[in-house]
Amino acid sequence: MTLTRRSMLKAGVAAAALPLLGSKAFAQSEPLKVGFVLIGTVNDNGWNFGHSEGAKYMKAELGDLVAEPTIVENVPEGPDCERVLRELAQSGHKLIFATSFGYGDYVIKVAQQFPDVKFEHATGYQRSDNVATYNARFYEGRAVCGTVAGHMSKTGKAGYIGSFPIPEVVMGINAFVLAARKINPEFTITPVYISTWNDPAKEADAARAMIDQGIDIVAQHTDGPAALQVVEERGAVGGFGQGADMSAFAPNAQLTSIIDHWGPTYVESAQAVIDGTWASADRWPGLKEGEVQIGPYGPTVPEDVAAAAEAVKNGQIDGSLHIFTGPINDHTGVERVAAGVTLTDAELLSMDWYVEGVIPPA
Amino acid sequence: MQFRLEKRREPSKVMLYATPVAAVLLTMIVGAIIFSAIGYDGVGAVREIFLTPLTNSFKWQDLGVKAAPLIIIGVGLSIAYRANVWNIGAEGQYIMGGLAATWVALSTHGMGGWWTLPLMMLAGVLGGAAYAAIPALLRTRLNVNEILTSLMLTYASVQLIYYLVRAPWKDPMGMGFPQTKRFAAEALLPNIFPGTIVHAGVPIAIIVALVAWFIMSRSVFGYQMRVVGAAPHAARYGGFSENKTIWLALLVSGGLAGMAGMLEVAGPFQRMVPGFPTNYGFTAIIVAFLGRLNPLGVIFAGIVMAITFVGGEVAQTTIGLSSSATGVFQAMMLFFLLAGDILVRYRLKRVAPQEARA
Repeated sequence: MTLTRRSMLKAGVAAAALPLLGSKAFAQSEPLKVGFVLIGTVNDNGWNFGHSEGAKYMKAELGDLVAEPTIVENVPEGPDCERVLRELAQSGHKLIFATSFGYGDYVIKVAQQFPDVKFEHATGYQRSDNVATYNARFYEGRAVCGTVAGHMSKTGKAGYIGSFPIPEVVMGINAFVLAARKINPEFTITPVYISTWNDPAKEADAARAMIDQGIDIVAQHTDGPAALQVVEERGAVGGFGQGADMSAFAPNAQLTSIIDHWGPTYVESAQAVIDGTWASADRWPGLKEGEVQIGPYGPTVPEDVAAAAEAVKNGQIDGSLHIFTGPINDHTGVERVAAGVTLTDAELLSMDWYVEGVIPPA
Repeated sequence: MQFRLEKRREPSKVMLYATPVAAVLLTMIVGAIIFSAIGYDGVGAVREIFLTPLTNSFKWQDLGVKAAPLIIIGVGLSIAYRANVWNIGAEGQYIMGGLAATWVALSTHGMGGWWTLPLMMLAGVLGGAAYAAIPALLRTRLNVNEILTSLMLTYASVQLIYYLVRAPWKDPMGMGFPQTKRFAAEALLPNIFPGTIVHAGVPIAIIVALVAWFIMSRSVFGYQMRVVGAAPHAARYGGFSENKTIWLALLVSGGLAGMAGMLEVAGPFQRMVPGFPTNYGFTAIIVAFLGRLNPLGVIFAGIVMAITFVGGEVAQTTIGLSSSATGVFQAMMLFFLLAGDILVRYRLKRVAPQEARA
């Protein structure tokens, strides 16, 4: 087939009629079709795995009310994701979860073309009538990990593998080191940004470089277990599972893990669409709601350390502890949060500064 | 029983053009069998990947948008490969073209006009060509293999994006996300058909291929490229400079890759992001060969590759086929094409064991 002028015109006309078709292709009694767009593969045992588990949970909870969830993997943060979002909307999916930060622009764009389809963008900040955002308070989990790290690190130095220095990631680094410095005031953390959410080779390289520099705790905000495997191999103190329990890959090195439990959020959204009560909002549950969970502690974690970590977890659940309560200095030593003051959610969501103890990347 | 490959005196013209088609058909048949054998709906997979993008008119715009950069880069590569100049770094030249265009878009932000897009196009072409000039210089002056230099420069260009979008070009309103601000309206490609995503880059790709075909088959330049590649000694007797050919091949292929970069950043991306490198430059190598290094064939090949990308996503949403399956199908296609090539140029001759020397 070559693209003749006529076929292009046909495409134009057909596409112009698209939004009209969407509503007719779907009868009310059919099960709700829910789509998930993932940046990696469901078997990454981390972030994407967490979302696919959430999808399964939703199907199990809602049964025949929803169709078998559609999961599209390996969708890059660019125009390709626009095409996938449109493909899902055109094929009758009425609720679409876009699960990576960089999808934001495209979600908003496609949502305008499909006003009767509900979109939810994980970790995003742009909303519209049919675009909601949702996230989890991962920083609460990172405070628990930081507590473990503060107790267990011998060198007092941690590394943190991140993707991009967006507030979501910066917040996690800060929460981690704030918690660790409550145990060891000399504790430092060195972030390294690898410009991708999922590249096992880069994650492993970053972990190796960190360990070579005397870092003995490797934390991460990237999707897979590659860094933990390096920590296990090199016999450093440890690291933390991200998104899911990764102990199968690093039985000794995983000190504990942050487990994302998206299921209840997905059930709630799907139910709201079925009931016709869905409305655009921003949701940010955490440990208390069970969306963020702490996995089992590793075999090398002493009982008193586990108990200290549990105390931090429980303090955040009952509200007696907020890791971002002052006094907090920034990495240059200037006070940014006064004693007794807690950062608001809005301040957290636009966080672009590092707390004391972070050695900022050049 | 033993076999030996024996060179055919004259490869069949018909077979030369039939192999790409045969490779696509064989991929579909073998793919269906393999996926069925491992417990998937093999026939469904082939249908969703290869046919749905063609039969579903909603998908045509996607095919056009995905094929356009592949065709433009593939045309440039086919010209270079004809001259036996192995530019493997089109991805890097595509990136530099995109960055040069981004630089124009950002520095004219808020004061652009009708001239913004032509200027971005010029910058994109020059950026890609300038980046390809490095391997050309190294090859002609120091005799450094262009395969290595062009490939390695790709990785350098990726790091340059990361640097630029993280610091000097970072969008102040981007919540810290490393990306430039969205281009102003004058710096965005117009849509050809309202209501679709078909941007001006799609017809440009077709025009580029037609012009390249005309030049390659009708001009002295085209003759030079072909003769230097096919018969270097004869070309030297004929007075064609080898160095000049290397320069031309790299500048043209780099310039076209840069043009594709400009069209992508001003079209679908609308801003520079770390995710800008999408392997178009590498995929276009397959496109150039699948298209028989002929600019018209490249149009066909670009569309076939676009079908596998778009169809791969359809297969994920409709029958839940893993995304890796797309890669398997693309690899099979290249495998059958190369295997077919061997058989077109060589004949398989049975050798009796007693004749074979140890």
